[in-house]
Order: sequence, then C-alpha cells, then structure tokens
Amino acid sequence: MILVGERINGMFRDIRRAIRDKDPGPVQHWAKRQEEAGADYLDVNVGPAAEDPVEAMKWLVQVVQEVTEVPLCLDSTNYDAIEAGLRLCKKAAIINSVPADRPKIERVFPMAKEYGAKVIGLTMDRKGIPKDAEARTALAMEIVAAADEFGFPIEDLFIDPLVLPVNVAQDHGPEVLETIRQVKNLASPPPKTIIGLSNVSQKAVHRSLVDRTFVAMAMAAGLDAAILNLDDDALLDTIATARILLNQDVYADSYLKVFRSRRR
Amino acid sequence: MGLTGLEIYKQLPKKNCGECGPPTCLAFAMQLASGKATLDACPYISQEAREALQSAAAPPIRLVTLGAGDHVLEIGDETVLFRHDKTFYHPAGIFIEVGDDLDEAAMDERLRAIGELEFERVGQQYRVDGVALRATSGDADRFLRLAQKAAAAVPWNFVIVCQDPALAEPVVRLLASRRPLLYAATDDNWEKMVQLAEEHQIPLGVCGRDLDHLAELVTKITQRGYRELVIDPGSRETSQVLADLTQIRRLAIKKKFRPFGYPTIAFTSEPDATTEIIQAQVYVGKYASLVVLRQAWRRSEILPLLTWRTNVFTDPQKPIQVEPRVYEVGDVRDDSPVYVTTNFSLTYFSVEAEVEASKIPGYIVVVNTEGTSVLTAYAAGKFTPEAVAEALQRSGIADRVKHREVIIPGHVAVMSGKLQELSGWKVIVGPREAAGIPAFVRSRYAA
Amino acid sequence: MAVERIMERYTSRVREVTLGATAEQGGTRSHTITVGGDSTLPFLHFEGEVPHRPVLALEVNDVPPAWHQLLLEHYRDVLDDPGAWAAKAVRQFGADLVCLRLVGADPDGENRSPEECAQVVRRVLEAVKVPLIVIGCGDADKDNEVMPAVAEAGAGENLLLGIATQENYKTLTAACMVHKHNIIAQSPIDINICKQLNILISEMNMPLDRIVIDPTLGALGYGIEYTYSIMERIRLGALGGDSMLAMPVIVNVGYEAWRAKEANVPESEFPRWGDQPTRAVLWEAMTGAHGLQAGAHIVILRNPDALRLLRRHIEQLMVPNRA
Repeated sequence: MILVGERINGMFRDIRRAIRDKDPGPVQHWAKRQEEAGADYLDVNVGPAAEDPVEAMKWLVQVVQEVTEVPLCLDSTNYDAIEAGLRLCKKAAIINSVPADRPKIERVFPMAKEYGAKVIGLTMDRKGIPKDAEARTALAMEIVAAADEFGFPIEDLFIDPLVLPVNVAQDHGPEVLETIRQVKNLASPPPKTIIGLSNVSQKAVHRSLVDRTFVAMAMAAGLDAAILNLDDDALLDTIATARILLNQDVYADSYLKVFRSRRR
Repeated sequence: MGLTGLEIYKQLPKKNCGECGPPTCLAFAMQLASGKATLDACPYISQEAREALQSAAAPPIRLVTLGAGDHVLEIGDETVLFRHDKTFYHPAGIFIEVGDDLDEAAMDERLRAIGELEFERVGQQYRVDGVALRATSGDADRFLRLAQKAAAAVPWNFVIVCQDPALAEPVVRLLASRRPLLYAATDDNWEKMVQLAEEHQIPLGVCGRDLDHLAELVTKITQRGYRELVIDPGSRETSQVLADLTQIRRLAIKKKFRPFGYPTIAFTSEPDATTEIIQAQVYVGKYASLVVLRQAWRRSEILPLLTWRTNVFTDPQKPIQVEPRVYEVGDVRDDSPVYVTTNFSLTYFSVEAEVEASKIPGYIVVVNTEGTSVLTAYAAGKFTPEAVAEALQRSGIADRVKHREVIIPGHVAVMSGKLQELSGWKVIVGPREAAGIPAFVRSRYAA
Repeated sequence: MAVERIMERYTSRVREVTLGATAEQGGTRSHTITVGGDSTLPFLHFEGEVPHRPVLALEVNDVPPAWHQLLLEHYRDVLDDPGAWAAKAVRQFGADLVCLRLVGADPDGENRSPEECAQVVRRVLEAVKVPLIVIGCGDADKDNEVMPAVAEAGAGENLLLGIATQENYKTLTAACMVHKHNIIAQSPIDINICKQLNILISEMNMPLDRIVIDPTLGALGYGIEYTYSIMERIRLGALGGDSMLAMPVIVNVGYEAWRAKEANVPESEFPRWGDQPTRAVLWEAMTGAHGLQAGAHIVILRNPDALRLLRRHIEQLMVPNRA
C-alpha cells in the first residue's frame, strides 16, 4: 500500500498562511512529521486561495525538499504549476491529476513522460463524476487507452475512482469499491488504484472510524494507494492489519510495531 | 484466461460505428472483457485480429506432450514463477544422452542402465523420462542403430538430438509412434525440420543463439503454423541459463509474450557427473521443462536429482502423506519402543529420522490425520484418543511386540488417560518435538 | 527481434553482515567475510547486485563425533583436536570459515563446563585465522551457561554465535551485544516465527546488521521444499522492504543431510540406490545447492567433497549474466 500524506495542502489554514507569508515552518513541520509516520509520497497542493499558483508550487516543492527526500505528489488543476514543480523535483513525482478529458490528457501524458512522473487519472469528465461503477470504469478505460496511446507505462498510472463524502453521497461508496475491482481488468499489468481517503468522512462524526473502515474495504477490493491522514495511528494500524489479512506482509506477532517503524 | 479491456481494444477497428450495440469500440472492448458481448457482434473485425485475440486467450505456456500410450510426458502449462504462488504443475522431464559414437558394447551397456533407472524411496516411485539420442558420428547407419537399440532397451521417451534433417529422418520415422522430441530447428535448417516434425506430428525443439534470436526463430515457425515446440535459448553456462530461463518464464507469464509461451529444454555442460547433477538441479527448479544430462547415468547420481524434482514439484497446498500403518526403524525386536505420530510426511520423517538417530530400533504407528501435523490434527479432532486407539488396534502392532507401552507426542499429553482407557495400552508421554526423541528414548530404554 | 526484458524493480535489499575482525578491528582474524547485500533474487546478476559470493563453512566438533565412516575418514587424524581439525578444514579442504559445534557441553554427553568450552574456542581461534561460527550443544539451559563464556572468550573477534530460538534468545542476544558478536536466529520452518524472532532480538537493541536467519533447511527428500519456499518468501520480503526479513541466511546442511537415510545406508542394503560414497556426497551437496537457489548466504557442510562441488558451483553461479 502506497501512502501519500495529505497534509501539505492550502486547504489547511496553517499551510495557507505559510504560503502567503513565505514561512517554511509549518510546511517543513508536516513534511517531517508525515515522513516519520511512513509516507511514501507527500501530496503538495497550494490550495485555491494562492495568488500565484505557479510560484506557490515552486516555493512549496523547494521548502519541502529542504527537509525530506520523500518524493512528491504534485496536486493541482493548473498544469503550469505542476510543470514548474516537476522541474524542481529531485525524485520521480506523481502528477495529481488528469480527468478523462482529451485536451488535459494531451497536456499531462507527454509532460509525465518528459519528467518520468507517474499520473493519477480521475474517473470524471467534463460532465462530472458518474455515479455507477460501469460509467466510472469506462472513464478509467479511456484514460488507460490514452496512456497506452502515448506510450506511458500502465503500471505507473493510478486510477482514482473519486470517493465522495458519506454524509451527502452515501450511494457512491459501493460504486467506488466496485470500480476499484473492475479497474484491475482493464489492462495487464493493470493500472494502480488510489483514493483520497479523507473525502469519505468530510463533515461526518467518527471521522477516523469511517476512514479506517473504508480503507479496509477498499484494500480488500484491491486498492494500491491512498492520499490520507498519516496523523491517525488507528488508521495506520488498520492498514497494517489489512495488509496482513490480505497476505501482503508476512505475519509476525509484533507486526503493528514493525509497520509503524518501517521508515526508521 | 480472460483478456483485459486494453488487449481487446487494441485489436478492434476503432471506427466507433456503434453497430455492435455500445457506442464506442472502447465500450465494446469492456463488454467483451467482462463477457457481456461476443466478438461476432463486430461487423468490421479482421481475421488477423480475431486470431490474435484467440491466441491471447490461450494459457501463457503451451502444454506439449512427448510419448504415447502409458508413457506420455506432459510438459509446460506452468502459471507461476514461485511454487508458493500456487504450484509447479509438470515435473521437468529428465533425459540422459547417449551418442552414436560409442562402441556397440558400451552403447548396449549404457542403454540398459538407463532403461533401469527406476527407484523407490519413501514409498514413492521415481524414474528418468528417457534417453536423448545424439548424432555425433555423422553416420546415418550408426545413428539409426543407436535408435533401434534404444527403442528396445528404454521403455520411455526420446529426444532426437540431430540438426541434420536427412540424418534425423530415418530415426524420426523409426520412433514416430512413440512421439519423440526432434531437437532442434535452427537458423539453417528450420524449414526442413518443421516439415519433418509436422509430417510425423512430433514436437520440435527450437534452438536460438540468444533470447532475441530465439523469439525471431519461434515467430517464423509459428507463422508457418507449427506450434508443438520446445524452446532453448542456446546458452550453456549455468549462470546464463538461469538468467535466460528466468526471462523466458517471466515474459511468458507476466507479459504473455507468445514466442516464449512454450516448454523449455536445457542441456548441461559440466565435464563430470557430480558437478553436472548440481548444475541440472538449478534447471529443474528454475525453469526447464526438460533437462538433458550428458555425464551422469549411475544410480547414485540420478537418485538425488530425481528426489529434488519430486520435492520442488510437490504441490505446496497439498501436504504429502505417508500411508497409515506400522513402520519399522532399524532392527526391531519384540521389546522395541512403539511411537505414534500423524501421517503428515514432514512430521513422520522427522520422527523417523530421530528414531534412527537414537540408535534404538523402534516401531512407528502412523495415524491417518489427512496429512496434518500433530497439533493441527489434534485441534481438528483428527488425532484423538479414539483415532489413536483405533490405529493401534488396526495396525496389528500388538502381535509384533510383547509389551503394551506406546509413546505419544508431548504436545498431546492431555489425551493420555482417555487413550489408556480406550486402548488398554500404557501411555508414555514423549517429547514435544521430534528432536527430543534420542535423549528421551536413551534415558528410558537404553540398557 | 529485440525482446523487451522484464526487470523487477525491488525497493530494498538484503542487509550485509560482516563476520570476523582483523587486528585493526580489535580481533585476530586475517580477514573478514561479508555476506548479504543482494538486491535481487539469487544470482540474477542482470537486474541487481550480488555483491558477495555465498560462503562455505565446514563443521568442527569439540569431541569426536559419532559420524559415518565416510565422513570420519577425512578427519581421522584430527578428531581429538578441534584446533587441528579446524586447520585441516581451512588449509587442506578450503573452507571459507569454520563452524565449531560445542557438542561436548551436552549434559547427556560429556557435560563439559563453560570454561572448558571457552578454552576450545580459544584453541580454534589460535589454530585458524578465518572468521568463526560457534554453535552450542542444543540443550537450552546448558547453552545459556556456555555461550556467554564463549562470547567472552571470543570478545573482539566478531563471531557468529548460535542458536537463538523464539523460546530461548535473550541470554545469547545479551552475550552477543556485550561482546559485539553476531547471532543466528533460528525458526522451525516457519516464516512468521522467523520474522517475530528477528523483531524480538532487535527489541533488545541488537543491531539488525548483526542477525543471520537460520530457517531450518531440511535435507533433500525430507521436506526441503517447505524451507525452500519459505526462503524464497524471505528473500522477496527483504527485497520488498520488510526490514525484519532482510537478514542474510545460514543453512545447516551437513547436519541435516547426514540425518537422511540416503546418506547413511550402504549399497549392499539398498542396491538400487547406487554406490554410497557418491550418493552421500551428492545428498549433502544437493541440499546445499537448493539452499543457494533459495537464497542462502552461508552453508555449513561436513564433507569436504561436498564443499569442493559447491565451491565450483558457486563460481559458476557468480559469473555475471545478461538479461
């Protein structure tokens, strides 16, 4: 399971302020803290309020890389900002993200190839997010076919079936899980799957419980990666346990401890 | 094996005509992948695409057979790289080479020895799979005579090692009904070799200079329509053969690379028999379907290799079992100790080895626990006082010893009372692990 | 036709463990031996590094063992002197290192004292300059008395000491830490216990690069495939980033192979199994060779002829290959 730390995002007040004031402190704090919690990638998002997203992305990438070698997941709808970030990345990054929309596909895949980046493809198009798994999978297929057309390795493609908050879109949950299953049949080797986990519990009470229940269900469906809250120990324990139950890690009585300390 | 949406989509005409039902070729591909549509719905699919899709749906490694009647040897059709991922299905065939340059007496002697390479150990039968006949002399009569002698002396299978189609033809004709492997097609001879193999419906070895060249040669042959192939990357050094066979297996299974979707053959190159056996060991485990030995043929050399083949091709999901009965270890007498254990082979052989190591002969009564170990069987109710008492009674051990003492594994000490009551035997609690047997039995039984 | 090869992209590698210490390092060995460091499956040089060839140890006992004639004939002149035995193993038979088994400590045997055992270790350290493995008698309580004395006697020599098990690892681990030795962590054909024992030992603050895994390789024909698969899974775990499986592996081949009936029975009793000397050598060498294919780094042998066969085999496996 690939863990992507969600915390360096302008949606959070401390990061938004840090970007505005060019104060590396909070950004670097979260970079280190998520690394210690076992992040495989750090998501980096300037947030909707950034005045100059390109400059903000460059600044974020630089200050994060000053304190950690964990590779980055550049999260923006502004591809100029992503490209500016890619130029600065010391390790192969993930581009987050591209929808099933031809002009964007044509912009993203050549860029990904140029910088050796992986890509997250969203199961949505200009019309938005379809509800049922068949339609989501069809959009995933469009992205897979496009990746193949551009000579982009399918195993470096992550399909994000777009999790929605359970308190407003409860009916999407099973469709997302089914999409994770179906995406595995699209190609061989199949694309990977990823979700923005915290979305599922937006504004819900029992956030941690909702997150960890859903992540276990998604892992059973074949989930490969998640953008998530690495500050949640119970969530990490759930992932460690799911990996054991799915025979992805070798069981030992002290497996939880091993999983928590695996970066050290 | 099902095809993925992408594999199918690549073969579709991409006209997005919608005549098949779904609006786009992509959507149609996905319906095909999930089995909700058939290819016939597409009016524009080319014959070539149809064939490509059919062959893509075939298993990753073709099943090829040598031999006929009671001596059919199936090779290939493997699905994994590691036996723990599922199992290896078709044990590597082991052949011993004989050249036609041997003098008559030596030839007879060697063939006779090969034809007798059958073994029994731990209740299993092992044997080699046959003889590889090599045209060394270049003399057609000698080669044919070798084949005639082999056909009479060796009841199993044959590999015809000869790259000259004219020299091979009479031998192929002689052995055709026993479906030998003809080895091998190369750059120079492949058209004639394919013709010969096709005419007699026998499998054909294909020998490349390296992996790239092998893929090219196989492609040429399959384009001619012949697919009963066994492939050889041409390397002979241990390290390179390991690398080549690993790539062939990976490409066949992980990428379904068609030119490598065939069983493989490996030839040893070591100059003496013992080092050759160790070299062959690598190929049997990784990933040769046929192994041809050139030096080793003596029983003491062949038995270790056949044992390894049996071990590595044992299905890890099915525990191997020994027959539930009484076993004697050493020169037992009527006062020798009696042990009970389960019929899980690993458990049994551990106990047997330790009883042997104790140097005190003993009887082992094996209880049928369906191939489970002591603790597993106990937990599953298969190693109960009732089951042990019944096994003791059925085994007839009471007629072989004058005492009535039985040693049970320490892990099931809890059954002592009940077992004693049911069987009438005095129950002695032995050590928990087999390794404790020698110390235990020596302190108890040594005079 | 250019065939695109499949190169596995592993994220991690087997840890390196170094045995022995030279004078500069505080010991008296002429050289050290490093094992492990592999970044791919055994001998797939084309996609990763196999920085150190596997090494071969010959077993030396502190008391004359009740071994088969076929083995004893190689050692008849040195059976009473572990130092001379070790010297013969290294100089005449070419062992990379010596594995001294302190059988004499066995309470059911000679029941030698810890100090007597330590003396034997000193004697062997004087007699040979290669790194040394020392294994106890197998009686847990007695080994807990003997091995601390051995660890002390070998202080500075960076020995490899065994055997730690899940039931009995604390005393040996502590002794290895105090005197800076390496430890053999043995699990009974069980990958879960293998991993847990490594965790338990590391929780005592033993550095991970001083642990060697003994997965209990059975003999050819006696369940070897179980351990073979466990060893393959250990290697895949190590390459996949499981740091608690990323230790080099030792296999006790001589001991196991000579428990097999096939090594011990003469041709006169089993004519269809062929001549015993060849069969016995191959039983041991083949058991070792399977260990190598499954990822073993240190192979402990008894028969010098088996060592000779494996030496040649390892040379051939270490020849670089291309994809």
